[in-house]
Order: sequence, then structure tokens, then C-alpha cells
Amino acid sequence: MRETLATRLALIAPTQGLVLVVLVLPAIYLLWLSLHTSSFGVGAVWVGFANYARILSDVYFWRALWNTAVIVLVVVHVELLLGLMMALLFAAGLPMQRLMLAIVLAPYAVSEVAAVVMWRYLFDPDVGHVAYVLQALGLPALDWAVSPTQGLVLVALLSVWLHLPFTFMILYAARLAVPLELYEAARIDGASGWQAFRRVTLPLLMPAILIAALFRLIFAFRLFSEVWLLTGGGPARSTEVVAVYLYLEAFRYNAFGNAAATGWLMVIGSLLIAAPYLWRLARERARDAA
Amino acid sequence: MNTNRRTLLTGAAALLAAPGLARAQARRLDILSHRVHQAVLTQGAAGDLTEPWRRSNGAELAWTTADIGPMQDRLLREASLPQTDFGVGYLLNSRATPQVGALLEPLDGLLQSDPIARYDDIAPGLRQAMQVGGRTIAIPVRHATNGLFYNAALLEERGITAPPASFEEFLDQCRRVSGRRGEGPPVVGLVMTAALASYPVIFARAFAGDFITEDFRLLPNRDAMVSGIAAIRGLFEANALPRTYATITNEDQVTWLLQGRAAFAILPFARHAQLNRPDQSRFAGRINAIEVPVSTTAPAGTRMATAVEFWSLSLPRNARDKALGWSFIREMSSPEVTLGSARNGNGPVRVSTYAEPAFAASTPLAAVEAAALSRARIPFPAFPEASRAEAIFVEEVQSAVLGRKTPAQAVADTASRVQPLLPT
Amino acid sequence: MRRNAIWAGKLLAVAAILVWSLAPIALILSSSFKPERDIFAFPPRFSFVPTLDHYAALWARWPDFFVALGNSFIVTVLATLIAVAASLCAGYAYSRFRNTWLEASAFGLIVVRLIPPIVCTLPLFPAANALGLQDTHLWLAVLYATFFVSLGTFVMRSFIDQIPRELDEAAAIDGAGRFATLFRIIAPVAAQGMLAVAVFVIVFAWNEFLFAFIFTSTRAKTAPLVLAEIVGNFDGVEWGVLFAAATVQLAPVLIFVWVMQKYLVAGLTAGATKG
Repeated sequence: MRETLATRLALIAPTQGLVLVVLVLPAIYLLWLSLHTSSFGVGAVWVGFANYARILSDVYFWRALWNTAVIVLVVVHVELLLGLMMALLFAAGLPMQRLMLAIVLAPYAVSEVAAVVMWRYLFDPDVGHVAYVLQALGLPALDWAVSPTQGLVLVALLSVWLHLPFTFMILYAARLAVPLELYEAARIDGASGWQAFRRVTLPLLMPAILIAALFRLIFAFRLFSEVWLLTGGGPARSTEVVAVYLYLEAFRYNAFGNAAATGWLMVIGSLLIAAPYLWRLARERARDAA
Repeated sequence: MNTNRRTLLTGAAALLAAPGLARAQARRLDILSHRVHQAVLTQGAAGDLTEPWRRSNGAELAWTTADIGPMQDRLLREASLPQTDFGVGYLLNSRATPQVGALLEPLDGLLQSDPIARYDDIAPGLRQAMQVGGRTIAIPVRHATNGLFYNAALLEERGITAPPASFEEFLDQCRRVSGRRGEGPPVVGLVMTAALASYPVIFARAFAGDFITEDFRLLPNRDAMVSGIAAIRGLFEANALPRTYATITNEDQVTWLLQGRAAFAILPFARHAQLNRPDQSRFAGRINAIEVPVSTTAPAGTRMATAVEFWSLSLPRNARDKALGWSFIREMSSPEVTLGSARNGNGPVRVSTYAEPAFAASTPLAAVEAAALSRARIPFPAFPEASRAEAIFVEEVQSAVLGRKTPAQAVADTASRVQPLLPT
Repeated sequence: MRRNAIWAGKLLAVAAILVWSLAPIALILSSSFKPERDIFAFPPRFSFVPTLDHYAALWARWPDFFVALGNSFIVTVLATLIAVAASLCAGYAYSRFRNTWLEASAFGLIVVRLIPPIVCTLPLFPAANALGLQDTHLWLAVLYATFFVSLGTFVMRSFIDQIPRELDEAAAIDGAGRFATLFRIIAPVAAQGMLAVAVFVIVFAWNEFLFAFIFTSTRAKTAPLVLAEIVGNFDGVEWGVLFAAATVQLAPVLIFVWVMQKYLVAGLTAGATKG
């Protein structure tokens, strides 16, 4: 069968086309917009790199970036760890496996709006169930509306709750794909559970771990609803993340040039954070292709 | 088999992509508003007030409703297009800047050729605020004037028999009422959202101060603002404000009062009916409201200029059928519909409505509200960077209340950060 | 002895997973049946007289919620069809053809996901209006599908990688062109992978808020929008109605995920379960 270029292009066209129209072209426009100031009822005015300069010299931007980086790194690694543990647990066999699997996936099906409503209630310092339990156990009260650290922890917790099923699925599927013979061979060679994990499971799961980490990183960097609906970025903007910063510029202050510039800074930021994983992934694919 | 499926899919796609295909033959007016605007015009004691207009114009109404911020953003977005489907949009007073005015149709010509009945009856302050760049850009239809709501039952439990007469008494009562009462959540004196500038402004005005005056003077009386912020901080430190003060939303305020978790709240007077509904409130009939009192340290004769916000109906400049839109605006601003919507729970913008017996009968707080409205002022004037200025102010107040800086420092920082944003 | 410890450990893990995953959801469900006064009672009340009042109120006072559910359904189905079809084609191409340009474009699919979609709405809004696509189900579906074609393509690629090329060759010998091979031979075998992609898109499209808000007004308004309106209700939140609405909105996808979980995992296992 002769492969025509047309066939190949036609096959990847829908995917690349969608991505081009919805993401790439707007991104190019936004690059242009980031070099202007623009708002409702006012035309675009060229300002060069002034927007970038202003944002990069804004203390609040750096704080938001810091908060974002911390949350992202915590969330991604916690999820990888928990996801991996759960994947191994399921692979080893659990009672009522089918039911448990469905239960594990349940949080993924909940919308952010509903989840946040529930979370705010559960963690309400006065009437929430968690507060009640803490009180009963004599532990210090929740103070996440005052302490930024606690606020960020709560946001991270909610994010993990919502997205752990996603990470878990990818890792579990990869774990299932590992042929049983390899474990048999390891057992015959006298390997302990831990050694089997290190020598068999981990290397074979690495591509999946990288993919899961990568996608999760990209999504987490854009974390918005959890922060916006729980703390609103407060108190006094201390739990603000980059996506909230961008949202405020775009939709509250209507400073579109700033918003576009923030968007591109986010691209650069997430590229920097994702770089190690992307690099590893590229190496793995190159090794596969070789 | 393949071709049939493909045809079906293409056909379905085309059908779904063509918005105009399913449109009815009748004329249609698309309205962009908050849900409450739709509610006060279509439900309640006076029923559906749009029905006569719809009949006589052979038109149907399509309401698109959303939260305040997103909905205003949407309005501006739509008005910036070459053409929009929306016929009319509700505009909040704080958004009426010259830039926004440029996106809306000037209404002076229409007011001449097709006037609104007894236009002068609409509160002059409101009408004036909608004169932007020398043009009338919107017609006021709803006001929300803030008063001090209190739960008489909770106050009585602590031996307080009358609502406060001065601001100091109010702060003191807040403190006395706060605390645990056996089983159940703790009660706080005052529930207040930290997200809006209106509230610290009210606190400052109690000491005869302000945030930004209508002629764009910033913090005319700094000591008053410092006192106001210090008062909020004092309440927070005495646990008379919720510990979650920084995350309380506007709607939480109503909920807390309904559940008896707070004794006081500063809310629009129009909330009175809902706060006393037996099926929602634990204290039906015991929640009342007064004007926010002023401080004893304020100059003699100072009356509270409480914060009022109001909504107006506007015509996007790029709307298709402006005649229909104006006809709708005229009708909804008429004295009859104003009274009707007031009976449906709206804050009426016409002075005469308050004198109407039908209104007074359904609204126990009518007299108090009218008095407050006569002296009320918007929290701050509209200008391009107003949103940013408000955000800075709110953030500084939060920092001071949570103890991260002194109120004096917060006021100084507000001054230095907001000054460059004011229109020159 | 050790077996008992392991067994106890597993039981503990199961209990932890149960509480962790289900507590908030159970709370939403139970609160939808509690009388309004009891919802925020403190200490928390676990026994109560269940009532259907909130569901009745939801039906009576928020009719557009149910219309919105219908819109959500349409948009979700459309988005899934587009995403799965596009991912299948692209995944097939990336699996079967190897060449540097192709690899680069695949890599590009990941890189492009670094662009925050929220800011893309700034130019997309006027663009959609100009094309007459504002407030249509199709446009929303196109947007949602776009967000998952990257992941979908990679899932389909690894799935199709597991399908032996002999299948392709056999079809070629029988005289089938590439597209025919794809749709008639490969697709049925890759069905589980397609299902996995479908689940991702369905869950996302059903729950998505921000884009639905920006790009719809009346005709294509989806359920999460109405849910948010109930939460931000000016007249004071009716919590019972909110939880009832949340339950109704949550139920279909929850049930769907429950039913599909077997296929979901199998789909992601890249065909390892197939002999």
C-alpha cells in the first residue's frame, strides 16, 4: 500500500486542526495583544514590553507564581505517590474489587462547583464535620481563612481529591499491562516484594508515571476554581495563584494586554516546570523508536 | 452505509450550527441581567409585569441571567462586538465609566421623542450618575440601599432590648452578643463579607469619612477611615466577626442571619421579606432593620450616608432592534411597573413609590428605607480603574483586620496605591 | 500472622479509600433529602426525616435547570464523538507511520496544552460571534473536544501500538484503503481505548463551567451554569435545592463511570487484556 502524504495529513488533520484553531491561533494573537494595552471601549495601543515589565515587577505576581509552584509540586507528587500505592493495592487484589474501583473513580465525576460547596461546608471552622472531629479529638481548630498556609493546604487537598482518580487510572492501567511472567521470574529468582517493585514495576511503569506527571503538572499549573471558590485568592491575596491573577486582569480589571502577557508568562512558567519530564519523555520515545 | 452516516452527521452539525433556524416568528428581545431582575419583573405579589408589554408589542422575552461580575463582563463583551443579539442589558452603577458609555446607545434623543412617564420622579442622584460624558447612557430601575439588620431574639437573649442608637453602641452590642450558646455553632455579633468596598466605606462614613468622594478626592478624612478599619479589626479580634471573615461571601451574610449564626448584618433593606420567611428563617418575624447609626465622635448633625448601589437598563450601541429595546425600557421604568416590581421585592427608584399605600403595606421598612435612600451615596464613583482601586482597598482592609498591618498603615498604603489610579 | 496483618492493612486501606472518596458525595446526597433547617445543624445530624421537598422545589422553581441538563447532554455527546473520532484517526496515524515530522507534531500536541485555555477566550469570543457560532452546542462541543484530543491521541496511539500490523496488512491484501482499514478493522478492536477517551471527555464536558459560561446565553446553557446560579442566588441560597440540583447533575456521570469502569481500565491498559 503506498502511503500518500495526503492520507497521513488527512488522518492527523482533525486533531491538529482543532488544536490549531482553538489554541495555537489564539495564542499567536495573544502574543500580539500582550504587547498592547486594550480594554472595553478602548482600542489596542502599542506598549512594547511594558506589560511584561509591569507584571514581572509586581510582587503579587511572584507570590502567585510561588503559590502555584508549591501547590503544583505538592499536588503532583502526592497524587503520584497515592496513585501508585493504590494501583499496587488494587493489583494485589482487594475485597469487592469492582465496587472499590468505581468508588475510587467517583470524585472524578463530581463538578468543581458541587465539590467546592461541599468542601467549604465540611471544613467550615464552626459547623463543619471536620471541625467537629478535630474538636472532639482536642486538636487545634481549622484556620484556613486566616492562615495562607492552611488555605493552600486545603486547596491542594481538594485538588488531589478531584484529580487522584485520573492519576490512579493511568498508573493502574500501566500496572495491569505488566506481564505476570516478569513477576513470576522475579519470584523464582528470590526477589523480595520491594526488589520486585524496584526492578520490575518501577521501570516498566516509568513511561506512564511520566505521562501522568506531565499531564497533571500542566493541568495543576492552571489551577483556578479550587482557589477561586474556596478562598477567592484571599485573605489579602495571600493564596492567589497565577490563574487567579490572570482571571482578575482579564475579567475584573478588563486589562486585556496584561492578561495576554500573564497567559504567555504562564506558558513559559509551566514549560520550565515541565521541562524535566518532557525531556525524560522525549528520551524514552527516542529509545523506543531506536 | 458510510455515506449515510456521514450525511446524517453533516446534517445534524449544520442544524446545530445555524442559530437562527429555530427562531420563532414573533419579535424577540434578549435581556442580559441578574436573576433578581427577572424575578422582580415576573414573580411575586404583583405577578408578571412584562405581560402587557409583551402582548401589545407581539414580542417575547429571552432572559440570560448570571452572577453580577460575569454578567457585567458579558454585557461589555457583547457591546464590543460589531453586532449583538442582546437588546437590553442591566448596568451596575460602578461600571458607568466613559469607556463603557461609549459602548452604549445615548438615550437623550429617545427621552425627547419617546419620553418616560414622569421621568423627574426617578431619584435625581441616580439619574445624574447615569449621565456620563454629557450623555444619558442608562435608566435607573433598581436600588439596593444598605441598612443594619438585627435579630431581636438573639439580642434579647443577652439582655439587649433595643437596637443600637450609635455606632459605638452597635460595636458594643456585637461584642456582647458573640459567643457560644450551649449546643450549636457559636454566634457572632456581625457577619460581614470582606470582598466588597461598601462595608469599610460604611464604617468610615460612620465617622464622617469616606473612600473616594464623587469628585474623586481620595480619603478626605484619613482619621475617620483609620477609625472605621480599627473598628472592624476590633470586632474580629473580639470574635464578634466570623473567623472565616476573609472568605464570607455576599450570600453567606443572608444565610448566617437566617440560621441565627449572627445577630447583625448590613444588607439591602429589600432583604427584609426574605429574612422573615417562616420556611427559610429560624427567626421569622424577629429580624428587623434600622439605618446604620453614626459614631458619637462624628461632628454633630452627621447622618449616615449609607452605601447604595443601583442598576440601570441600557441599550447596547450595536443592538439590532433599538426601538423594541427602548419600548421595553420605557415600560419597565413607568410608575406603574415600578410600583409593581417594588411589591415583587425590588428597590424602587421613584420617589413617589414610597408614598404609595400599596407599597407601604407590603413593605414594613418603607419609611426607614426612604429616609436612608434620601441620604445614601454610592460607595465610590465610576472610573476606568475603579475595579483595581476597589480591589486594593479591600485587600488593605483585610490585611489590617487580620492583624498583618496597623489600620493607619493600611490607610497610608491605600492612599499611595490608589492615588495613581484616579482619573486626572 | 503476617497474612492477618496484610489483610488488616488492606481493610484499613479500603476503609480509608471509602471515607476519602465518598464522604463529600454522600454529604451532597444526604443533604438533598434533609429538611432545610437540619442541613447545617451543629453538631452534625446524621439522622433526620427525609423529604423530597427540595426536589419538588427544584422542579417548580428552576425549570431551566432541566433544560440545561438536556443541553449538557447534547454538548457532551457531540464533544465525545468529535474527540474520539479525531483521536482515533490521529492515534492511528502516529502509531502506523514513523517519521520525524510526525513525531514532532505529536510532541507539539503536548506542548500546546501549556497554553492556558482561559485566556484563549479573549480572541475566541469575538471569533465565535463573527462565525455565528455563539451560543451553539456545536461550538462548545468543538472546544471541549479540543482539550482532549492531545491525551486522546496518545491513549489511542499506545492502544493501537498493541494491535499487530498483520491486521493492517491483511486488510490491505483484501484491497482496503487506509481509511477503510481504520474504520472497519482497527476501530472495533480499539473500541476499549476509544471508550477510555470517551469517559475522559464525557466527565469533562458534563461538568465544565467557564467556557460554557462565556460561550452560551440561552440556547445552549448547560447545567453547571444553573448550578452556579443557585449557589450565587441573590435572594439567599436555598441549600436544599442546591444539593438536590447537585445530586441530579452528579448522578448520570457517576452512574456512567460506575458502569464503564471496567472498560475504562481495560482501555487504558493498551490492550494487554486482549490475548
